[in-house]
Amino acid sequence: MKLNRILLASALALSVAWVAPGLAVAADTIAIITPSHDNPFFKAEADGAAAKAKELGYETMVLVHDDDANKQSELFDSAIAAGVKAIVLDNAGADASVSAVQKAKDAGIPSFLIDREITATGVAVSQIVSNNYQGAQLGAEKFVELMGEGGQYAELLGKESDTNAGIRSQGYHDVIDQYPDLKMVAQQTANWSQTEAYAVMESMLQANPEIKGVISGNDTMAMGAWAALEAAGRKDVIVVGFDGSNDVRDSILAGGIKATVLQPAYSQAQLAVTQADKYLKGGSTGLDEKQLMDCVLIDDSNASKLETFALSN
Amino acid sequence: MKPFPLLALGLAASLALAGCKIVKNEPEGEKAIAADASGDDARTAQRIADTFESKLLPLVNDTALPLPDLRKALAGGLDAAGKAHGNRGAGAGAAWNFAVKGEGKVVSAKLDSRARWIGLDTDGDNQQDVTVQLGPVIKGSAMRDIAAFYNFDDFRDQIEFAKLGRAINDELSKRISVPDGDLTGRTVRFTGVVPLKKADEEFTVTPSKIEVLP
Repeated sequence: MKLNRILLASALALSVAWVAPGLAVAADTIAIITPSHDNPFFKAEADGAAAKAKELGYETMVLVHDDDANKQSELFDSAIAAGVKAIVLDNAGADASVSAVQKAKDAGIPSFLIDREITATGVAVSQIVSNNYQGAQLGAEKFVELMGEGGQYAELLGKESDTNAGIRSQGYHDVIDQYPDLKMVAQQTANWSQTEAYAVMESMLQANPEIKGVISGNDTMAMGAWAALEAAGRKDVIVVGFDGSNDVRDSILAGGIKATVLQPAYSQAQLAVTQADKYLKGGSTGLDEKQLMDCVLIDDSNASKLETFALSN
Repeated sequence: MKPFPLLALGLAASLALAGCKIVKNEPEGEKAIAADASGDDARTAQRIADTFESKLLPLVNDTALPLPDLRKALAGGLDAAGKAHGNRGAGAGAAWNFAVKGEGKVVSAKLDSRARWIGLDTDGDNQQDVTVQLGPVIKGSAMRDIAAFYNFDDFRDQIEFAKLGRAINDELSKRISVPDGDLTGRTVRFTGVVPLKKADEEFTVTPSKIEVLP
């Protein structure tokens, strides 16, 4: 009882839109649970899902787990207790999230995953993820081209518990390692964080002043690395990111960061809500559980068409 | 002092023998491949052995459309052409892939790269209209995605699926052989796969067969 109250209170504090749990039925609410909105990528997901949910006549309950699996588990308890009809989730860890999604399933609440996969199938209804490997290959191909197929480079890795950190790194190396003149002199995690990336980049530069390029697991870390490079007077260093954020778009247009890879976050989240709606009404999405979405390379040729994780034609 | 080590040796030998027996009783060549990532390389090698020569190359070489026919089909829209002649890669926004064949004159080339390519003029206007990848680094997954029998749902995840794409490209790369030196002006005959996301995109061919004519 006491625990429940704490959970509800914490969920209340986190929610942007909230249907009071005391009301008889939380009429057709969809919970949207993502990592912190500090990263605009996750905000775009939440915004995209919420907009589509509203359009389809649902209330929303928007929560953030801050990449903390325990917190995510509590949020699932809150959502289940609130009687939501479906959960749209960008999860807090591929292994750790399976039990939370299972818990919702056991309570009769279907989950629709976006962005990150979990390590089990048959638990969520849909897992719609960007083809991170394909995207990483695109980014790496551009990086190799910009580097002239040779020279020293560093890699910034994402958060280890997030499958996408490993997938992107593997995708990068699948391409880059085919070029023997490209030498990786430093590889370190900055946990998707801009501030951490700044500090990591500073120390990498000190240890390896010959660095010619930096390939980053996401855009926030690319921004941190670029800020450190600028501060050190090393604007000659080639930086490539991943996500397709407006910040990196602006940097590309200003001649800073050279390229990134767009993940269609906004439309992906909308797709998840559309499938949730179809599932709730008809008992099936009519689609496979695992669905991929292709990523798109963004460089100075198309950056101006990028806005909030969507590319216009 | 002596008998003891001998005994130990004998014991070890008999243990080893016992171990041998167990291995022997297993059906040979049917060792289970681990379902997780540790089995990816073995599974990928198996897939290549089972399909590359026997199914994939024949699929491309036997169904390749002559270039003009593909262009004609594309005039009616990418999706219509794709449904009639192509195969779409897994996932929303993935390219349509078309098996094509043709020949043209080399009008440009980048050969001082790990990802070599030549630009061909295939319609006689001296303008490059087709790019052919020559490896050793082959970009993209067109050759995997032309084949409907490689279905993403049969793979554990995008990594395992990508490993197959890479393995196929490596196989192709081994088979590409072009003469050294300047190829400009030479006529090249090719069969391969073109991935398209737009109907008016320039053709980049991942070749299954390539021949530089004398």
